Amino acid sequence: MIQFKGKKGKFVLIAGLILISLFIFCGLSFASEGGGHGGTDGSQRLWDLGARFLNFAILVIILFVVIKKADVKGFFSGRRAEISQKFEDLKKERDAAESRFRELEDELKAFETKKKEIIQQFEAEGVAEKEKIIAEAEERAKQILEQAGLTIKREIQAAKDRLAMEMVEAAAQRAQRIIEKEIKDSDQDQLVNEFIERVEKLH
Amino acid sequence: MIGSKISSRYAKALFSLGQDDGHYEEYGENLNEFVSFCSTKNEFIRVVSNQIFPVEDRKKVLEVVLEKSSFSNIVKNFLRLLVDKNRIVAIDGITDYYSRLTDEFSNITRADIITAKPLKSKALDNLKRALTGLTSKDVRTDVKQDDTLIGGLIVKIGDLVLDGSVKTQLEGLKESLKRGEYN
Repeated sequence: MIQFKGKKGKFVLIAGLILISLFIFCGLSFASEGGGHGGTDGSQRLWDLGARFLNFAILVIILFVVIKKADVKGFFSGRRAEISQKFEDLKKERDAAESRFRELEDELKAFETKKKEIIQQFEAEGVAEKEKIIAEAEERAKQILEQAGLTIKREIQAAKDRLAMEMVEAAAQRAQRIIEKEIKDSDQDQLVNEFIERVEKLH
Repeated sequence: MIGSKISSRYAKALFSLGQDDGHYEEYGENLNEFVSFCSTKNEFIRVVSNQIFPVEDRKKVLEVVLEKSSFSNIVKNFLRLLVDKNRIVAIDGITDYYSRLTDEFSNITRADIITAKPLKSKALDNLKRALTGLTSKDVRTDVKQDDTLIGGLIVKIGDLVLDGSVKTQLEGLKESLKRGEYN
């Protein structure tokens, strides 16, 4: 059995059909033209009918043979199966695509959820870190204030001590100047006598 | 330290000889005279103690001085020995130590008195008497004047210091005020 598959087969089938149609059309034309020159109308008509019938029969036979040879049914059934298969494939692809779409959609949702969780976690950590930093800063500020207070007290005490030292130095110098100015020989004698008395007490 | 050891060794040796013959006081006076001479004749002691010159030459120079002196033979020999041993440069230390030995032997102690104003003789006598009572020794005094004491006096007997100066009292008062003892 001849099968017309592929583009080349289809082309041969169509060309055969066109040639057969032309052949039949030429035969019919020739037959109709010959009828105009006939003798009796009845025999001519019968002949014409027979010729037409014959033509038709030949046409049917040819068509049957050709169709039989060409396996048009197989062609169309194959084509239908092919289209059906293609349709099935496309349907599967569509299902796969839809499935993939749903997967991606789920992944996207999961990603969004994860993103929210991460953001919440980071926000929580950020708040905790902020509180920790603030607490540390407050503690540090407290320490600095305490230290500053101690430093101030120390500096004030040191300033007091320095002032007291300066006052003592000034007072001593002043006292020395006064004594140097006011001391007399009688004072020296008294000092010597007191010294002698103290030495005598040491015996 | 080494110098003082050398001085004490030589002084003790001479004093031992003086104790034996009973002329230790005379030897001390001879040494003091020689030191006084050296202090007035710096060139002499520089030459005698300078080891650049030969010992014989230095001894000749010393002999010239000794011939004109009335030092005892022991002291003369002692001074020659110092030149021989290149110890004449320590004559001041030797003399000082010898004086201490004689003072100790004679139960004498020396008191350095530093006073702000001149001491009256009566006050000095009273002070000597008081110091004699304190040390149980005959006290010989060396009085110096120092105006910076402002008033009063300081007595130094060996390591003992008796400070009765106004300057020290003022210092003590100042330290007491600094320590806040009068707050």
